[in-house]
Amino acid sequence: MSRRPASLLVRDVPRSRALGVLVAVGAVAVTTLVIYPLRHVAPPVSTGIVYLLAVLLVSTYWGWRFGLLTAVASTAAFNVFHIPPTGRFAIADAQNWVALGVFFAAAGIASALAELARSRAADAERRRQEADLAAEMARTLLGGAELRQTLPVASAKLAHALNLRHASIELGDVQPAVQDVAVALDLGERGATIRVPADADPQAIVGLRERVAPALAALLAAALERDRLQAEVVETAALRRSDVIKTALLRAVSHDLRSPLTSIIAAGDALRSPTMPAGERDELGGLVVNEAARLSRLVEKLLDLSRLQAGAAEPRRDWCSIEEVVGSAVEHLEARDGETGVQIALDRGLPLMRADAAQLERVFVNLLENARRYCGGHPVKVRARVVGGVLNVRVIDRGPGIAQRDLPFVFEPFRQDAGGAEHGGAGLGLAIVKGFVEANGGRVRVESQPHQGTVVALEFPLAAEDTVGATAR
Amino acid sequence: MSGGAVQRVLVCDDEHQILRALRAVLREAGFQVEATATAKEALVAAAIRPPDAAIIDLMLPDRDGIEVCRELRCWTQMPILVLSAVGDEAQKVQALEAGADDYVTKPFGPRELVARVRAMLRRADSGAAEPIVTVEGLEIDLARRVVRRDGTEVHLTPIEYDLLRVLIRGRGRLMTHRALLQEVWGPQWGDDTRVLRTHIANLRRKIEPHGSPRYIRTDAGVGYRFSA
Repeated sequence: MSRRPASLLVRDVPRSRALGVLVAVGAVAVTTLVIYPLRHVAPPVSTGIVYLLAVLLVSTYWGWRFGLLTAVASTAAFNVFHIPPTGRFAIADAQNWVALGVFFAAAGIASALAELARSRAADAERRRQEADLAAEMARTLLGGAELRQTLPVASAKLAHALNLRHASIELGDVQPAVQDVAVALDLGERGATIRVPADADPQAIVGLRERVAPALAALLAAALERDRLQAEVVETAALRRSDVIKTALLRAVSHDLRSPLTSIIAAGDALRSPTMPAGERDELGGLVVNEAARLSRLVEKLLDLSRLQAGAAEPRRDWCSIEEVVGSAVEHLEARDGETGVQIALDRGLPLMRADAAQLERVFVNLLENARRYCGGHPVKVRARVVGGVLNVRVIDRGPGIAQRDLPFVFEPFRQDAGGAEHGGAGLGLAIVKGFVEANGGRVRVESQPHQGTVVALEFPLAAEDTVGATAR
Repeated sequence: MSGGAVQRVLVCDDEHQILRALRAVLREAGFQVEATATAKEALVAAAIRPPDAAIIDLMLPDRDGIEVCRELRCWTQMPILVLSAVGDEAQKVQALEAGADDYVTKPFGPRELVARVRAMLRRADSGAAEPIVTVEGLEIDLARRVVRRDGTEVHLTPIEYDLLRVLIRGRGRLMTHRALLQEVWGPQWGDDTRVLRTHIANLRRKIEPHGSPRYIRTDAGVGYRFSA
């Protein structure tokens, strides 16, 4: 209910009858007292008009029945106290009979008019409230969020506006609970239901059924349509994005696969020459091996990525230790490229975690490869510690860092920054890292300061039982 | 190599090019090579003239390479090396449990392959256990159950000692988690890799130089081996 004074005129809930009678009697008494001293100054017939105020007051607030009652009481009081002979129910002068009759008629008409105004105002107020409600619903339902998020909010607002204990708007035809009343909404292809308590004010339910429901149905239909369109937009965007990725993939594949192949074929062909000096032969042989190894790494990454994107990288989770995983990643790199210069500083007694050790090894091989590629000769550091039930691992390099505008895209495949290609990366590493980390229940983020370095931070939540230190057994 | 006789290696891979390359690489390394392209051929060849070692691809056209390992293990203790694809740790574990001694992941370098084959043959050769094993500053006296690092005795719990002993007995050989659990704890411990990892971590802390494991190597998702 509005708190504005105007709403007093239109209380839907009738005010108490006893109070009505009390106010009617009081108003008549006060009027009588007020005009009593005037009986010598003004002719009694003319002061009678003042009673009309009392009649208007009562009929405005309590309706025409109370208004008429007040009119009768006023007539009686006027007769007794003001029309001679005063003090009893009698009228001496015929002229006063006419006056009294006119007064009664005027009081009756005034009361009817007040009642009419009252009901018009009530009507207008109700419509205003309904319009407010409709506007509010439109704002809520069409405001941008998805329907399944806005429906509970709209339900609460509906309940509040209609003064109901609770109300719920549900999509589909819902079988109402015994204590509820269901109002069906027709949305065209599918239905919806408003459920309100069965013991709610019948008037409110009628209002809900007749006036609120149709408006709400139209809004819901619009909101559903909007949801559908939005889903389509998202889908289209995803398709477009996957198209972009495919194009990038093709470009990367054609470039990154072709260039080592070209050198392998050329070198292999040259090796067949019988006149080639031994030194050169050796060099070309080395080139074939190196280029083939490069190719092999790229293929491995492409396989990892396509496995991840196809959802075929289901982790085989088992207890594993981050120490071991990092250690074997470093070993892997050392076996391949020689000394890595990676500094490992893990807290002692780190707990075991449940993850796919082989996938985590791929994560660290990729991270360390990246870090080494960009570290500019500075050592790469790996740190790990447990903070509040979460295992934090950080891979830190002191390379040139990543430009602020590129940071949001570092996890997208093939989105390496401009300098990446000349460092020999295909821009797949971080996409694979993110894929495997998330498949194993972790999170990854990148922090970077240009000219300071880059930190890749991994977080793996540990189950409560895992936080027992490795030394505890 | 013992005895001076040329050692024979059975190779089974259905990829003709790989077979050719393997033959060249192994011959270059001084082995005699028997090349086969199917599981059936390999099993027949092995039965007719038992080789000193076998290299089996896990993806064969007629049968699973794991089955070949299992069948060979029915009658021979010769070292078996399997060739596996990237990223399939479950398959590697299965092959090792079926009797393979080690695996290499395709694509592999010829040097790595030859090194693995030699290591396997050396292990198979050294029948008698030495009472004292010494590896780069780590000395394990198997008779007296004493472990020394750089001359100082390291105190190990009985379980840690058993782990180390089992790893050393198979020196260079990859032991799956389950194999280690069964050897050290007994068959009922089946898959409790957690307890294994905890003890490996403790053992490493006692014998390894801090930060870089030298003796006990991890094969992520597969198992451990004691550095050869």
